[in-house]
Amino acid sequence: MSAIAMEIRRNRLVMSYLIVAMLLVVLVVAGGFLSDRFLTWRNVGNLFQQLIVLGMVSLGQTFVVLMGGIDLAIGSLVSALTVFLANFLEWRPDLVWLALPLALVAATAVGALNGLLTVVLRVHSLIVTLGMSSIIFGATLMYRKEPGGSVPRAFADVAYAKIAGIPVSAIILVAIFALAGLWLQRTRSGRSIYFVGGDREAARLNGLPVDRIVVLAYALSGLCAGIAAIFLTARTGVGDPRIGVALTLQSVTPVVVGGTILAGGRGGVLGTFLGVLLVTMLNNLLNFVNVSSYYQWVIQGLIIIIAVGIHTSRRR
Amino acid sequence: MAPLDTPMPRSRGLSLATVFERYGLVIFLAVLMAVAAVASPTFLRPANLVNVLTIAAPLGMVVIGQTFVILVRGLDLSVASLMATVAVLATAFKATTNDAIPLIFLAAIVLSAVVGFLNGWLVARRNVSPFLATLAMMIILQGIRFAYTGGAPISTLPPGMGFLASGRILGVPVNLMTLAVLAIAFGIVLHRSRLGREIFMVGTNPKAAFLNGVAPDRVIILCYVICSVCAGIGGLFLLGYVGTVSNWVGQGYELDSIVAAVMGGVALTGGRGNIFAALLGVAVLMVINNLVLLLGFPIEMQLIIKGIIIIGAAAFYRTRLV
Repeated sequence: MSAIAMEIRRNRLVMSYLIVAMLLVVLVVAGGFLSDRFLTWRNVGNLFQQLIVLGMVSLGQTFVVLMGGIDLAIGSLVSALTVFLANFLEWRPDLVWLALPLALVAATAVGALNGLLTVVLRVHSLIVTLGMSSIIFGATLMYRKEPGGSVPRAFADVAYAKIAGIPVSAIILVAIFALAGLWLQRTRSGRSIYFVGGDREAARLNGLPVDRIVVLAYALSGLCAGIAAIFLTARTGVGDPRIGVALTLQSVTPVVVGGTILAGGRGGVLGTFLGVLLVTMLNNLLNFVNVSSYYQWVIQGLIIIIAVGIHTSRRR
Repeated sequence: MAPLDTPMPRSRGLSLATVFERYGLVIFLAVLMAVAAVASPTFLRPANLVNVLTIAAPLGMVVIGQTFVILVRGLDLSVASLMATVAVLATAFKATTNDAIPLIFLAAIVLSAVVGFLNGWLVARRNVSPFLATLAMMIILQGIRFAYTGGAPISTLPPGMGFLASGRILGVPVNLMTLAVLAIAFGIVLHRSRLGREIFMVGTNPKAAFLNGVAPDRVIILCYVICSVCAGIGGLFLLGYVGTVSNWVGQGYELDSIVAAVMGGVALTGGRGNIFAALLGVAVLMVINNLVLLLGFPIEMQLIIKGIIIIGAAAFYRTRLV
């Protein structure tokens, strides 16, 4: 790719980010007018506290989408992990130090398995992760049909902890996004995700270990789902086999809103972060102005279509 | 016209691999049924078989439509949501007599056609990926449906709906006959008509199709309309079978219809597939579901098996030989 083409692409991405950022500003201003509770310190704090679950699964989805795939197993994986965590911690509340790494390792392994299956069987990622999602969901339901388990107090506090008034989870989220952004932009392995997503065959011909990069992207997605599950379990205090059902599709929305193209190779984590903010704030505001969650679904669907419409027409 | 670089002429005889490849699904179905017959004496009873087929019919209708969309390199995730929306629409007439049934069907088909047109328009004209377009449609329909019912749908249905869905004429389930009629009609459209050839051309290579005077956009939109209409009709039959409306009629049918089509050898890359093979996929799926129950396994195991099957089937057809 020539330097000029690269530059144009970069500028277009910046434009995408600017559009989303502008929408965010509009939303904040409109929110301030529509509801006097929206811009309170308390609400903003709450909002940032909620950010981490959607933020993490969307980040994981971003890696996979940039690499040219899609991960539809995220929701089932998060559900399964909350069930594991809550039941394990109910059994041995003292073993938090063991449960959390175990959950993260398991999540990463499941993600890597998704990647391995797409690479080895050469089946479309949509089919592989859809199938895996069904398998994980079925296995989780066979273990526990109803929400259950519990978590020790100290672990639950993690979800609500604050440093100088700022939720710890939000700090962690921003730090992880910053790390992810740096990794994608500045390191060889990070950039290779873009190459594989842009043109897999060309990446292969250039000597990139394509298969390993694919597995890596899925493994990272699994890891992100693991982190999301930890905070989700800490917040809700139970393991719910159905809690993640909606998360899979919700994880796609911020990615698309943030300008990452589903075909792969173009986009970035900053866009996803802005997308997460936009979606979360919009839902929060709609709650304040008493728009039923039913219409929030309609709005979410429209957002996807409009976002894709904006970004694709810009691409033309 | 044979490609120039064909390495060697295809042998006339049927090698074992070819037999397996071409009739693999039939063999698989036969093996499954044999296993089921051995595992449980109730399986081969006519009552059980007719029961399985009756449950299969609405899914079969959806699969016919899903096949059209997959053939043009698409995917429709909104079918299940549309089925439920159509079911809610059917109760909106608050009809208690059978006179309303034609009207219900007409309304359902019109609504479905509009939804299908929107899906197709987004995909073909606005370059939205089928995944995102139909996903957005799924959520939008869900929102509208819940907003209309307020979360608690009413269930006033004409009694004839139940007869259509689970009644019998001369011992043959009505919904199975309907499925057969639909399958033959759409089978002729797909495999014997000019439109069908255009669909395969667009699915194989949209650019070449365009150069041959086919308008890919129109063909693609039409496929989405067909898919949605099939799903809508399937929704009405499922509604009649279930008898009560819920906001989630047809939940899971988006996955099941894709599983069945993929199992039937419809290639997700487009341009390759057969309606009747896809319906065979439905039969396999249904026998497996039935088998899980007959063997006394927990029903959740169906999910696990379905997941394994869809991955396995896709891998199997990728290595197809003919």
